[in-house]
Amino acid sequence: MTAALRLRLFAYMLVAPVVLLILGLVAYPFLFAIWVSFTDQVIGSVGRFIGFDNFIYLSKSATFGAAIWNTITIVLVSDVLKLGIGLGLALLVHQALPGRGLFRSVLMLPWAMPAFVAFLTWRVLYQPLGGGINLILNQTGLYSGTIDWLGQRQTAMSSVIIASVWRGFPFWFVSILAALQTVPRELYEAATVDGANRWQRFWSVTVPGIRQVVIVTTLLSSIWTANAFEHVWLLTQGGPSDATMVFPVLAYYGMQTQRIGEAAAVSVYMLPVLGILVILATSLMMRREEQ
Amino acid sequence: MSNIARAALPDTASIARTRARNRRLLGRIFSYLALGLAALLVLFPIYWMIITSLKLPREIFRLPSLWPKVFTGDNFAKLLSDGGFVLAIRNSFIVSATVTIISVILSSFAAYSMVRFRYRFRGLIGRLILFAYLTPGSLLFIPLSIVMAQLKLGNSLVGLVLVYLTFSLPLSTWLLQGYFRGVPRELEEQGLIDGLTRMGALIRIVLPLSAPGIAAVAIFTFTGAWNELLFALVLVTSESQRTAPLALSYLITSDVLPWGPLMAGAVISSVPLMILYFVAQRFMVAGMTEGSVKG
Repeated sequence: MTAALRLRLFAYMLVAPVVLLILGLVAYPFLFAIWVSFTDQVIGSVGRFIGFDNFIYLSKSATFGAAIWNTITIVLVSDVLKLGIGLGLALLVHQALPGRGLFRSVLMLPWAMPAFVAFLTWRVLYQPLGGGINLILNQTGLYSGTIDWLGQRQTAMSSVIIASVWRGFPFWFVSILAALQTVPRELYEAATVDGANRWQRFWSVTVPGIRQVVIVTTLLSSIWTANAFEHVWLLTQGGPSDATMVFPVLAYYGMQTQRIGEAAAVSVYMLPVLGILVILATSLMMRREEQ
Repeated sequence: MSNIARAALPDTASIARTRARNRRLLGRIFSYLALGLAALLVLFPIYWMIITSLKLPREIFRLPSLWPKVFTGDNFAKLLSDGGFVLAIRNSFIVSATVTIISVILSSFAAYSMVRFRYRFRGLIGRLILFAYLTPGSLLFIPLSIVMAQLKLGNSLVGLVLVYLTFSLPLSTWLLQGYFRGVPRELEEQGLIDGLTRMGALIRIVLPLSAPGIAAVAIFTFTGAWNELLFALVLVTSESQRTAPLALSYLITSDVLPWGPLMAGAVISSVPLMILYFVAQRFMVAGMTEGSVKG
């Protein structure tokens, strides 16, 4: 055996465990899920191929329609809010302010705590009786009634979005802050010499400097938010009457009713859109890695 | 006379200076106000969690208060005396630590192989790992629960460890590649000349030099496993195998909502992660921004 061959064999052996485990635990189940979504499998039986029946059945269900609409709403609204809040706070912390390190640490706390803890806490905050939010509103005199934030249709969705923005904005904040720190100071000075005002400097120097990071962050955050389970499960379980039903929760309910084929079809429905987001994100992340 | 007048009436340059200073001061005040408000909004839920865990039931429901009149350890006592939650925390530790150790070892090998050697399929493997990282659990939990049932690992911590590798291996491999690239090749070659094997070079040179990266990866893997709810909910059926998030999420599906003990559990579950965060914040934030880590 030549040295070169031995080296190559060594390289393959090092990478093999991870590749095999990923093939077995991610790639195979992924393909299996697609197959199952075309069968009438229930727990304890092998399913029959039934073509698109599951998908047709789902498309006629009102709950499924609600799940599509709610998932899109949560993703879009919380992306916009997280971008606004994350960018705003990153710009503030990026200034030469005494104490900014402390602010940065504090603003990261929601990211550092477990997601399930965050959403359980928000559930307690949203309680109509004894919940922190109603208490604050009452004691500051802003509102004197009792609002059942998670229990009524008008407020449930906004409440879920606020909690998930609270938990999710630090990721945007820190990513954008790191990007801001890579923009060379000279560019700002050059723009100032050219007579650009603060607003023009923001558009011609800051925005191009952080654009790449914002795009990747948006893609990743959309993928994660569309597939998040905890926020809805721990706050509302999809209720009241499907007002906050989202894809993953619906798939979980399908699993509980033992109709696996149908449950898998719920997840597979997301695949086209999700696939595009994942492929875009992968390409951008690989490109950034190569640089 | 003219000198006095000049001193009394500030010239235009100093007016401009004063204006600029005022504007800077104003900007500063605004910045602190905005940051202070944001910090308040971030801290209030955390404050509420801690304070609720220390309240008596009557101050939680009947006479809610922003600052409890009586502090009590009852909620913690109630939660811990049950035994179920202690077991759940223990299970969480076992699963998270095992996942972390396996991932760090296997993904160091894989990342080293992909960074140092050139071979066919390397690009493909890199893409596969990134795809696997971004493939959401919501797509995998149904087939994985079937697969685990077939392997007779359905209701077991071993099954959970295997399932958690689906997100921890791709993430750790992806992150470690970045860190290993930063280790100068010359150091390794020097080691090889001095008689180290390739494996020796990895263990004696590359790993120690990437220590901050390994720390970040270990923390992310541990946190990911510690926080996971959906897979655990689907796989675990018996109380003895529950993890901490699972045990707490079952508390809220009962009819009576035990807010005090629930928040006590939330506080206890946060402690290990908060300690990690304060000890290793620097590595974590760097790792998060370089590798895009959800947390």
